[in-house]
Amino acid sequence: MSENSRNNSVDAVIAIALNTFRETVRDRIIYALILFAAIVTVLGIILGSLSVGQDIRILKDIGLAAISLIGGIIAVFAGTNLVYKELERRTIYIIFTKPVSGWQFVLGKYIGLCLCVLVMVAAMGAFLSIIVASVGSGFGGASFFDQLREITQELSLIYLELLFVTALATFFSTFSTPVMSVLFTLAIWLAGHLGESLLELGKLSQNPFLAQCLSIVFYCLPDFAGLTRIRGHLLYGTVPGTEVLTYLITYVLAYVLMLLVLAAIVTERKEFT
Amino acid sequence: MSDVVIQTTNLSKELTSSLLRRKVRILSGLDLSVTRGETFGLIGPNGAGKTTSIKLMLGLMRPTEGKAEILGMPAGDKRALAKLGYLPENPYFYSHLTGREFLDFAGQLFGIESKQRRERAGELIKTVGLSEAADMQMRKYSKGMLQRLGIAQSLINNPELVFWDEPMSGLDPIGRRDVRQILLSLKEKGTTIFFNSHLLPDVNEVCDRVGVMFKGRMVVQEKVKNISGQGNYKDLEDFFLEVIAKAEADSGAAAAAGTQSKEAVS
Repeated sequence: MSENSRNNSVDAVIAIALNTFRETVRDRIIYALILFAAIVTVLGIILGSLSVGQDIRILKDIGLAAISLIGGIIAVFAGTNLVYKELERRTIYIIFTKPVSGWQFVLGKYIGLCLCVLVMVAAMGAFLSIIVASVGSGFGGASFFDQLREITQELSLIYLELLFVTALATFFSTFSTPVMSVLFTLAIWLAGHLGESLLELGKLSQNPFLAQCLSIVFYCLPDFAGLTRIRGHLLYGTVPGTEVLTYLITYVLAYVLMLLVLAAIVTERKEFT
Repeated sequence: MSDVVIQTTNLSKELTSSLLRRKVRILSGLDLSVTRGETFGLIGPNGAGKTTSIKLMLGLMRPTEGKAEILGMPAGDKRALAKLGYLPENPYFYSHLTGREFLDFAGQLFGIESKQRRERAGELIKTVGLSEAADMQMRKYSKGMLQRLGIAQSLINNPELVFWDEPMSGLDPIGRRDVRQILLSLKEKGTTIFFNSHLLPDVNEVCDRVGVMFKGRMVVQEKVKNISGQGNYKDLEDFFLEVIAKAEADSGAAAAAGTQSKEAVS
């Protein structure tokens, strides 16, 4: 590939990513969702004050759960509409009659949405940090920087999971309607959290064939439970080792890459009638 | 370099209807060749296969049979796409972007450098008469303004060849005059133009050659100078109506012959 065509490839990906980012952040529904997350976080202060000495933990738990939920909603609903909207509005004709490949389109869309989710998660995280810091100082808890570090670590893991969810939604959006894509994405997201229960079910069934089938399903599904487990450790102040983190990041990126490659293949084979 | 910029050979397309899984042939054996600098107008009633032909030439659809070559490369080749411009029928763009942002986006997809993109976008905004609306979000654009912007984006890369699908659609008489002028200035520059239109006076004014399509077939191709005011035809409209009437009669006769032969067999 010549230097010039490599630059053109990158330019197209950047253009599509920025366009997707702009389109998503200019959608007013997102701000309603963020407002909802902020209200839930503020409610966490009230719930925290009802506990004995666990106010900050409860506030953080509720705030982070709200961020995870709202981030997930943005990733699922915006992701599943990514390609469908382009087809419905016929803007896809404008893109594929220019020197743009399927992989550039899919990668650009994915990066744009991930960037949007990052900004939203960071904004909601900043709000949570301010609330935690203001409440924490009143109760003489851990220092602001300790709290900030813990929240940032938690948010990084939430974002890692959202990268995964966004890739799933992007993949389904290349060949399915938004409603079906939402259902597929939510089903796999949920199944990914319950994966270990499938193994348990296999053991309990005492049927080797069923156990084998369920273990195949378990290994095919993304393992979101691992991420949740580590987040649980973080909440209690246990920082996972570098090996665990490297494994997690590699696992997520490999899965994302596989989904994006499949999405690019589907897009490349598509006909625009 | 070859002088033929668009070449189709037996280009055909069949679609499968989603409910009954019945195959419907929407384009049959299109043989066409357009030379560099030529302005070719494709005319025909609704559903004749004009838009399908353009989509096949651009690689948006794949042919069931035959092939299309654009600028000497297979349809959809990225090297060919880099040198052409396309205006879709009834364009609808990203409503969250302003006209200027959209042109910048289109330029970026071609890999045009930022400074050059800005300059080109500015020039085109003036050319299509959108100076006052350039920084307004496209959700506020009228149909005619979207059409003008669609034309501008199809020219952002200074193309050698343009495909315009119904460029006059949605335009008021002033808009039509402006687009005619743009077409004529492109023609003067030597750009090859391929467009579909129902507005025969405009086709008559700018085209060198026309092709008439009916029910997925190219019925006739003729030079405009051989039609207007010469022979049996008063103008292009007269020519078009007569060709279509003949094509309808032929297709009716063919259908009747088909029914008769079926009856004879049974």
